[in-house]
Amino acid sequence: MNLANLARLRDEDLAGQASTAQARALMESIVSEERAPAGRRLRVAPARRARRALALGAVAVGLGVAVAIGVGLPGGPATRYANAAVTIERATDYFSVTVTDPAADPGRFEEAFRAVGLNVTVKTIPVPPDEVGRLIGPVVPAGFRGPGSIGVQHVAPCAAAFCGKVWLPAHYSGRVVFGIGRAAAPGEPYADDRLFDPGEEALDGYRSHGRTVAEARDELRRRRLKVGYRLYWTLPDGGFVDQRVTADRMEDGWIVEGSRHSSSDTVDLYVVPGPEAGPAPDPMTVYEAEPHWYDLEG
Amino acid sequence: MGADPHGRFADVYERAYEPILGYVLRRCRDPEDAADVVAETFTVAWRRIDELPEGDEARLWLYGVARRVLANHRRGELRREQRAEALREHLASLPAVTHTRSPEEDFSPIGRVFRALPDGDRELLSLVAWERLDTRQLAAALGISRNAVRIRLYRARRRFARALATAGVDHPHAAILEGSSL
Repeated sequence: MNLANLARLRDEDLAGQASTAQARALMESIVSEERAPAGRRLRVAPARRARRALALGAVAVGLGVAVAIGVGLPGGPATRYANAAVTIERATDYFSVTVTDPAADPGRFEEAFRAVGLNVTVKTIPVPPDEVGRLIGPVVPAGFRGPGSIGVQHVAPCAAAFCGKVWLPAHYSGRVVFGIGRAAAPGEPYADDRLFDPGEEALDGYRSHGRTVAEARDELRRRRLKVGYRLYWTLPDGGFVDQRVTADRMEDGWIVEGSRHSSSDTVDLYVVPGPEAGPAPDPMTVYEAEPHWYDLEG
Repeated sequence: MGADPHGRFADVYERAYEPILGYVLRRCRDPEDAADVVAETFTVAWRRIDELPEGDEARLWLYGVARRVLANHRRGELRREQRAEALREHLASLPAVTHTRSPEEDFSPIGRVFRALPDGDRELLSLVAWERLDTRQLAAALGISRNAVRIRLYRARRRFARALATAGVDHPHAAILEGSSL
């Protein structure tokens, strides 16, 4: 048997696909996006929208009600559940989730997910102002194994703090965690929920990419910001991993890949280690060395 | 490098779209997820257009990006984006996809053994058998030296042959990799 026959299809089966309307539309959509800075493209909850949502949430809290609709079999899950924090509606192959009060007790979110048949853990996590209310996850800490898939899709326009679709396989039994973004206190570290995007920049009007550590650090200090450091390793298999390190691991002449706010008053520099740094560490060791928001208490 | 990023991206997209779509569809059970992986892969390419290599190297570079996006997807980090909506529907109805089974559904003894290989071995052998990459191209796609490719490929072939023997597929020549037996 030729291993090639194990493939579902060959490239030849896809001849002409690049010129389909769908492929062209995707390309147009991609190039219509501003190229830099890249890091904020997925963030959909502007602060103004979040404030309005908080106001709506406050009204709903005043009413203090939760509504479940469409209970099927006795004890079975509802098709729609709403409380002061969130509304969840079950569709054929996904759940519509509308977050109205990101500051609510996580228990209110868990209660709503449970009511529609999803036994998940919800944590509120500190995020930058423009991410307040964002639904983060679903995360499967043990690693997701199919069949099926899990994910979240933002839906716009949205009159609440967050509107989106969530899907995961029916009766999925693994531990699933969602985060709800809450406004971080001044100086409180943000939950680190996204992979670093090469070229991402934290500062308006300043590109750290390609500068030395010393130059970028001077600029941050000039702006009265604290500096954090991450080594941005290229792995032997072509992947990347970033590793939080202390200042003494840095060399002034190493080159910065990009930067990201790690709290309101701190910017982390993502630095490409020079040859003297030695080989890249095992990515799993790096991953396990840092606490993750979905594993923390609260 | 071309001065016009739009023109350059359109050129790369035109030439690499089908190979990247094929790469993703061969590794993704769900065509709708494949649409999101393809969209994310080319979005990364657009944002990093200044780093995109010239000529066919761009395709190899994109395999590397697609591989990482797929890895994120397997960790449950794939995000559904509006821009992939039409492509999701299109792929879900594509006969080349719907009328063929994904590798996960191949229950032949060789298919089972192949699926049970360590991820790195399986990906390396797949890049040879499915994307038909040679040693130089593998080195470019994986960002490692040709020598490292040769060593890894040798080990992966050996492990595959041993696993086949353990599974009772007596004859190692039962599995052919790009014209040569293991």
